Amino acid sequence: MIELLNLVDHPGVVECSSILKGKEVLASSFPEQYKNHATIAKQSFNYVFATAAKMKSKHDEAHLEIGDKRLSGFLLKGDLILVCLSAKDSNIQQVRKQARQASAKLLKDELEELSKF
Amino acid sequence: MAEYKVLFTGSVCSGKTTAIKSLSDIETVDTDTSVSDSAIRRKRKTTIAMDYGILDLKEDSRLHLYGTPGQERFKFMWELMMSDLVHDAEGLVLLVDNTRADPFKDIQFYIEEFRDFIVRRRLIIAVTHSDEQEFPDHHFYMNRLKEMGLFTTVLFIDARDPSSVLEVIKELLDHKEKGIDWEAMGERLEVNSTMPGAVKQDEVAQTEDISLMDAALNTRGIVGAIHLDDKREVLSSKIENPHNREILKAMVNLVSALEKKAGFLGHIEDLILCGKDQETLSVFVDEEQALGLCSDRELSINVVKQQAADLLQWSKE
Ligand SMILES: Nc1nc2c(ncn2[C@@H]2O[C@H](COP(=O)(O)OP(=O)(O)OP(=O)(O)O)[C@@H](O)[C@H]2O)c(=O)[nH]1
Ligand SMILES: [Mg+2]
Repeated sequence: MIELLNLVDHPGVVECSSILKGKEVLASSFPEQYKNHATIAKQSFNYVFATAAKMKSKHDEAHLEIGDKRLSGFLLKGDLILVCLSAKDSNIQQVRKQARQASAKLLKDELEELSKF
Repeated sequence: MAEYKVLFTGSVCSGKTTAIKSLSDIETVDTDTSVSDSAIRRKRKTTIAMDYGILDLKEDSRLHLYGTPGQERFKFMWELMMSDLVHDAEGLVLLVDNTRADPFKDIQFYIEEFRDFIVRRRLIIAVTHSDEQEFPDHHFYMNRLKEMGLFTTVLFIDARDPSSVLEVIKELLDHKEKGIDWEAMGERLEVNSTMPGAVKQDEVAQTEDISLMDAALNTRGIVGAIHLDDKREVLSSKIENPHNREILKAMVNLVSALEKKAGFLGHIEDLILCGKDQETLSVFVDEEQALGLCSDRELSINVVKQQAADLLQWSKE
């Protein structure tokens, strides 16, 4: 998992990231100083994606801009959420690109797991 | 005859039309129309196509002044102007309204939109409305722009005052065209001043106020909106899709909760939710009000943000 985050983090784009499964943090590269951001992301993204799911909508990407930071949440599959922290004035398209790489990798790893059996 | 051109751009209300009126020796071509689709408490007229004026520099040289419409929905005009009318302009003057919530966001937006245009030209940032809002000051601008990697001239002007706007032109042309009598020009243009107490303005009868909701719903790509006051109580709401309505309400609640609990991390500016084939849902907040938008998924997040900023700004008294 943590290798996956290494793939996502990218200087000048994504400063740090984490993977959530519901309220559980599976992996995280958030440093101590952004502990509060991590908590807020966890609560907020779980809440919005759960609401969206309840309404049967397919929204799977959320951005929250707070202070000079942007927290982005990407619903990967099921209740797996990838969280990215970036500077507010950084390019949102690039953040997206980094996140997509991770979700593609996740899917690939999973297929490999399956093919072992 | 030496002919020069300059293009003025900037957000709604930044003073493009006013600046060109201040400078022009001819009656300006004015495509302003009453603001029909937005809260007009603050602003009654907006430019829909473009502004045009001429400033005589010397006997044998003149400057053509062009201004873009500010509203994002007239953006197609920007492209049209850049590729045709003003492709040979000397420079771009970016007017920045100092009363905007975040002037640097505006700068970023316009720099991005006009990127190709400014690589080969002078860019001058002219800050307006600083008489109403002093800060950020010149020093702050220079530092922030440096951080943004932008090395450019920043002048503080009042678009209503001809001699003040003339400083921008001087900065742009002084080295190109020698022997211009700037002082005499300033005196000549004084009649164009619209500073309070200058020439009496023929006040148009106040048109009736139109709500922020009407404004939002008439903005390109916006299909639903919800308007909240400073306590985050719903003032009015119109969202057709019941699912989106519920989600947006939840988002508004989340934002209010975050404002209370996470305010120490900084101002919560917006929360945006998107997805493939889904309408984009977003919530924007400032001290006085909050706005929830449901918009076409084709609109980029940056455009939605700019539209929301315009709407929130506009509805201020
Ligand atoms: N106090 C103050 N008012 C200004 C200044 N510059 C412009 N204004 C006023 O701001 C208002 C809006 O100016 P406009 O010139 O219509 O703005 P615009 O950029 O053309 O706006 P759009 O055409 O809607 O994009 C006018 O009432 C001007 O008189 C300034 O520096 N200080
Ligand atoms: Mg105008």
